[in-house]
This record gives sequence, C-alpha cells and structure tokens, in this order.
Amino acid sequence: MEVRFPFSLEGKTILVTGASSGIGLSVCRAVVASGGSVIGVARREDCLKEMENELGAGNASYIKADLSLDADIEDITLRMPEVNGLVYAAGITRLAPLKFIKRHDLEEVMNVNYFSMVLLLAQVVRHKKIKRNANSSVVLISSVAQQVGTKSSLLYTGSKGAMSAGSRVIANELSSQKIRVNTIEPGMVQTAMASEMEDMLSKEVVEKDMKQYPLGYGIPEDVANAAVFLLSDASRWMTGQSITLDGGRYKLLD
Amino acid sequence: MDKNQFLQSFAEQFDETDPSAFTMNAKFKEMDEWSSMVALMIIAMVDENYNKKITGADLRETDTIEQLFERVAAK
Repeated sequence: MEVRFPFSLEGKTILVTGASSGIGLSVCRAVVASGGSVIGVARREDCLKEMENELGAGNASYIKADLSLDADIEDITLRMPEVNGLVYAAGITRLAPLKFIKRHDLEEVMNVNYFSMVLLLAQVVRHKKIKRNANSSVVLISSVAQQVGTKSSLLYTGSKGAMSAGSRVIANELSSQKIRVNTIEPGMVQTAMASEMEDMLSKEVVEKDMKQYPLGYGIPEDVANAAVFLLSDASRWMTGQSITLDGGRYKLLD
Repeated sequence: MDKNQFLQSFAEQFDETDPSAFTMNAKFKEMDEWSSMVALMIIAMVDENYNKKITGADLRETDTIEQLFERVAAK
C-alpha cells in the first residue's frame, strides 16, 4: 500500500496573494518546494515574473491584480483554475497614534487587509473556484498584534482583528464543503514591511523589541512553513483556528 | 514654515511637561516625558501639519527643537 506523506502538497494548486514579496513570496517558494503549484497574485508584474522564473513556469504562474479594485478581483476569479488552497498574505501597515487617525487611513488599511480578503473569498466561493469536499484549505495571514495592544498600531491591529474574527465565521460557513479556514498570527517577521516600521520608529526601539523575543524575530520562511502545514492534508481536522508564531514573545515570561 | 507654530504643535504632543520648557533650544530627548510614543506623535504631527515624512532617524540625529525644525523645513 502506498503511503502518502501527509505534509506534501503534491497535486495541489494554491493561490497566493501578496506574492511579490515578504511572507507571500516565501509561501510561493514553500508551496513549490512541498510539491505543489502556485498562482501568485500581486500588483507588481516584474516581481511576479521574477517569482515565476525562479520557481519554474511549470510550477508557478501569476495574475497581476490590484486587490483594492473589484474589477481585478473579478478578473482573478475568472482567470484562476479551481484550486485546492488559498493563502491571503497581502497586507499593509501604518503606524499612527489614535488622535492622528483619519477616515482615509482607516479605509486604506482596512481595504487591503480586510475588505479585499472578504471580497476575494466571496467571489472565489461564489464561482466555485475552490474545490469542495476535497480537503481544501484557506490560510489567512493575520498578526499577533490582534491579540495585544501595541501603541500606535490601531490601524493595523483593528484590520487583523477583523480578519481573525471573520475567519471563524468563514470557516463555519465553508465547513459543509469541507473547506478549512485557519489563520496564522505572526509576531515581528523580517520583511520589507518590518524595515518600514524600523525606519519610522528608531533602531533603538526595534532593538529593544527584538530582545523581548526569546527566539528572536522570525523570517518569512517560518510563516511559510506553517502555511504549508495548514494547506496540507496533515491538518485535515483543523479549522477555525489560529497558529501564533512569535518566537515566544507573548507567552514566555522571565 | 512658521517657527512658533512648529514649536506650539511640538509642545502639544506632550501632556505633562511644563509649557515653558519648550523653546527652540530645548533638547527634547532629555525631557522626562520623551518616549517612543511621543516620538510617534511628533512624526504624525509633522505628517499632518506639513505633509512631510520624517523618520526615527531624523529624531535620533537631532537634539534641539530648532534642529528638528530645520530638518523638517529642508524636506
């Protein structure tokens, strides 16, 4: 009898948003390394092409799209094949103390981090582009920020809180089709987004923060590997859950 | 850019420091109330009032409010 390695993504096709950089790009690489094929979605075509070249056209393809536009979401849904999984890694962050927050800032962050996630999933499900009754999996990249209350992070934290809360509703609605929905809630991961934060704060603040991570800051691969687990049949009994990845930052106390 | 307006906006980001402490020569990072949160408020204030982006590095590399004013004005 042939025993299938449960962590393999062989035969699975995964749609990944935010595929041009950071965690999204890392997920694309990990999917292919685990035997699956990937369709990357992002705005920057040059980065997507680079991803496709790196991973090989047989394993990777892309759809250039701006997730803040309904027309582009529709275009993705029409062009994509039926997939076994979807990873929503598109996201932006803005730091602003409460008293400086304006409607425009809220809309900008909520749009990418939450509205587009909901609207993309709505269309994918409506057009039956995620396989039903085949152990399909949706992975949403949220943030540990939504579990705590970091100063000045309200725009980002609120959007990720909405994502994490919403994921349980979506998991429940899709459970009858055996489509699983889980989130990953990472702490600080070394990406361009994190460098942007470092630039806005100061090196000292970031160094102090890093010291509070017993295992140090994460790298995109740490998140991508957890995503592979959630996409694979190894996690077939898991839905409506979140995996916190924070190098011990919030649960290990001195 | 008006210096007095900048000074007033700078001071408004503090809650406990005596208003008389805010002069253009004041070394803002030596104030007891200075913190990473106040730094973020200053960055946000400059963005809102002057539509200019300053970073943590700009705050690190300046000592007095005057120096920060000059740096913002030059952007």
